[in-house]
Amino acid sequence: MTMRNLQRQASWLILAGVGVLLFSFLTVFPVNARPVAQETEKFCLSCHGDSTLSMTLPSGEEVSLYVSQDELDHSVHSNKGIECEACHNNISGYPHPRIKYKTQRELSLAYYQTCEKCHSANYEKTQDSMHAQAAAEGNLDAPVCTDCHGHHDTSAPDEPRSLISETCNKCHTDIVDAYKQSVHGAALLEEDNPDVPVCTDCHGVHNIQDPRTDAFHVQSPELCAGCHADKELMDKYDLSSDVYSIYKRSWHGVDISVYKARWGTVWHDSAVCTDCHGVHDMRKTDDPLSKVNSKNLLATCQECHPTAGPNWVDAWTGHNEISLERTPFLYYVDKFYTSFTPFVLWACIIYVVLQIIRSIADRVRSTLS
Amino acid sequence: MSPKNTNLRASARQEKTFARFTLGQRWEHAVLILSTFTLLLTGLPQKYREMSWSQDLLSTPERLELIHQIHHIAAIILAVEALYHLGRAIYLISRRKLSAAMFPNMQDIRDAWHMLQYLFFLRKDKPIFGKYNFEQKVTYWFLFFNFAIMGISGFIIWFPVTFTLFLPGGVVPASKMAHSTESVVAAIFILVWHFYHVHFERLNLSIFTGRLNEKEMLEFHGREYQRVAGQPTVDQNE
Repeated sequence: MTMRNLQRQASWLILAGVGVLLFSFLTVFPVNARPVAQETEKFCLSCHGDSTLSMTLPSGEEVSLYVSQDELDHSVHSNKGIECEACHNNISGYPHPRIKYKTQRELSLAYYQTCEKCHSANYEKTQDSMHAQAAAEGNLDAPVCTDCHGHHDTSAPDEPRSLISETCNKCHTDIVDAYKQSVHGAALLEEDNPDVPVCTDCHGVHNIQDPRTDAFHVQSPELCAGCHADKELMDKYDLSSDVYSIYKRSWHGVDISVYKARWGTVWHDSAVCTDCHGVHDMRKTDDPLSKVNSKNLLATCQECHPTAGPNWVDAWTGHNEISLERTPFLYYVDKFYTSFTPFVLWACIIYVVLQIIRSIADRVRSTLS
Repeated sequence: MSPKNTNLRASARQEKTFARFTLGQRWEHAVLILSTFTLLLTGLPQKYREMSWSQDLLSTPERLELIHQIHHIAAIILAVEALYHLGRAIYLISRRKLSAAMFPNMQDIRDAWHMLQYLFFLRKDKPIFGKYNFEQKVTYWFLFFNFAIMGISGFIIWFPVTFTLFLPGGVVPASKMAHSTESVVAAIFILVWHFYHVHFERLNLSIFTGRLNEKEMLEFHGREYQRVAGQPTVDQNE
C-alpha cells in the first residue's frame, strides 16, 4: 500500500516536472522563435494596402498612401518586428490626425527625424556633414536619412557594394559616371571587387565632409595611402606600396606634409595624388586615357606649370627610388655626396684636431724647457 | 743720437706692417660673409623643415615666403659678387697681370706633406709658407667650387621650368639634392676648417685690416717675408 502510494506520488512528480519543462519551452524559448506577428502592420495595411489610396497636399502634389507588402518584406525593420508606429509615432489609431505639411518634401523632412530615436550615433554624425550644412543653408533637396536608405524598404545599404555608388548616383550623376570609368569603379562593377574603394570609403559615411576644402586637399594623400601604402594589398595587384613614402619626400609631398601638419586651413597649390591621377576617374598608368600616361603627362604637368617644355616631365622622378636607369643625374649626385659629405666632415675634423694636439704639445714643450 | 736709438724710436712710433689684401678684396670678403651667412641662415631652416627650430622660425606661410625672398636677394648679391670676382680675374689674365699667388703649385704639395709629418711628430719645424699657404688655397678653391655648385643648382631650382627648356629634366631633382647637400658641406667646411684657421689657430684679421704685422709675417708667411725683404729663400728640405 505504502509502496503503491509512493509510486503514485513519484509518477505525479515526474508528470509535474515534464509539465513545467513543457510550459517553459512554450513560454520562454518561443519569444525568439515566434514568427514576427506585426499586428499593427496588418491593421495599417488593411487600408494602406490599397494601391489607389492617395491624398492631395496643399502644394497640389498627389501623395500615394499605398504601402506594398513586398516593400515591407524587404525592410530590415519589418523583419525585426519593428512596427509602423515606431516611425509614424503621431498616429495611434483611426482617424489619423490631420496632416499639416504643405509639400511632400516637408513631410519627408519631418518624418526622417524619427530615425534618431534608434540610430542616434549615425544621426548625430549626419548633423556634422556637408549635406546637413547644405540643408542649413536652405537647400531642401539636401539628403536626409530616408533619401539614401529608403523608407518602407530600408535594407542593408552595401549589399551588393555597388549599391553604394548607385545611392550617391541619385544626385551626383556626373561624378558617379566618372567613377564608373575609373580603375576602381570598373573593378567594382565588373567583378564586385571587395578591395576597391566605393564613394563612402573616401568621403566617409554619415559625416561626409566638403572635399573642396584646404584641409581635405592636404589630407587626401593619406586617404589614398590607406590602401596604396598597404604592401599586402598592393602586392595582390602587382602595384608598388612605396608610392606614398616616396611622394612624401618629393617636392610636392614635403610642401603638403608641412601644410597638413601646421597650416591645415591654408590652401596650398602643391599637387596631391588626385591632382595628377584624376579625382574620380583615376586609371591605370598604362591606360592611354590616364592623366599620368606618358602621352598625357606633360599636359597634366602644364595644368600647374603652364610654360613647361617637353623636358619637364623628366624633372618628376615619379614614385620611384633613385636609379641609374630612370634618374641618372640624381643617381650620380647621390653617389657623389654619399662619400663626399662624410669625407669633408672627417677630413676637416681630423686635420683640426691634429693641429690642436700638435700646438698644445709645442706649447707644453716650450714651457718645460 | 746713435743710429740704434733712431731705429727704436721708429719702431715705437709705428709697427712695421705688410700689405696683404687690397681694399677691393676686403670689400669682396665682407659681401661674401654677409651673403653666405644670410643664405645659410635662410636655407638651412628650409632644408630641416621637420626640426622644431626650423618650425619656430617658419611659423607661418608668410614667414616662409619672406625667408624665400631674403634667400633669393642674398643669392643675387652673392652671384653678382662671384661674377665680379671672375670678371676681374679674366680681365687681369687678359692683361697678364693676375698674380699667381692663389694658384696651387708643387710647393703646396711639399708643404702639405711637410705639415703632415709635423702633425704626426715626425718633424719639429713647421713648413715656411709663401703669401698664401696650402690651407688658405684649399679654403679658396674649395669655396670657389662650392659657390659654383650652389649657384648653378640654386638658379636651376629657382627657375626649373626655364632651365628645362634647354636642359634635360633630370637636372632639376639632381640640383635640388646637390643644393641641399652641398649647403651642409659648405657649413661644415666654413665652421670647422676656416674658423679654426682664422679664429683659433690665431686671430687673423688681415682680411678686414688688409695688413699683417712683422711677427705674423715671420711666423706664418716666412717665405713671403724673405721675398719682400729680398733675402734668398730657404729650402727646408735641404
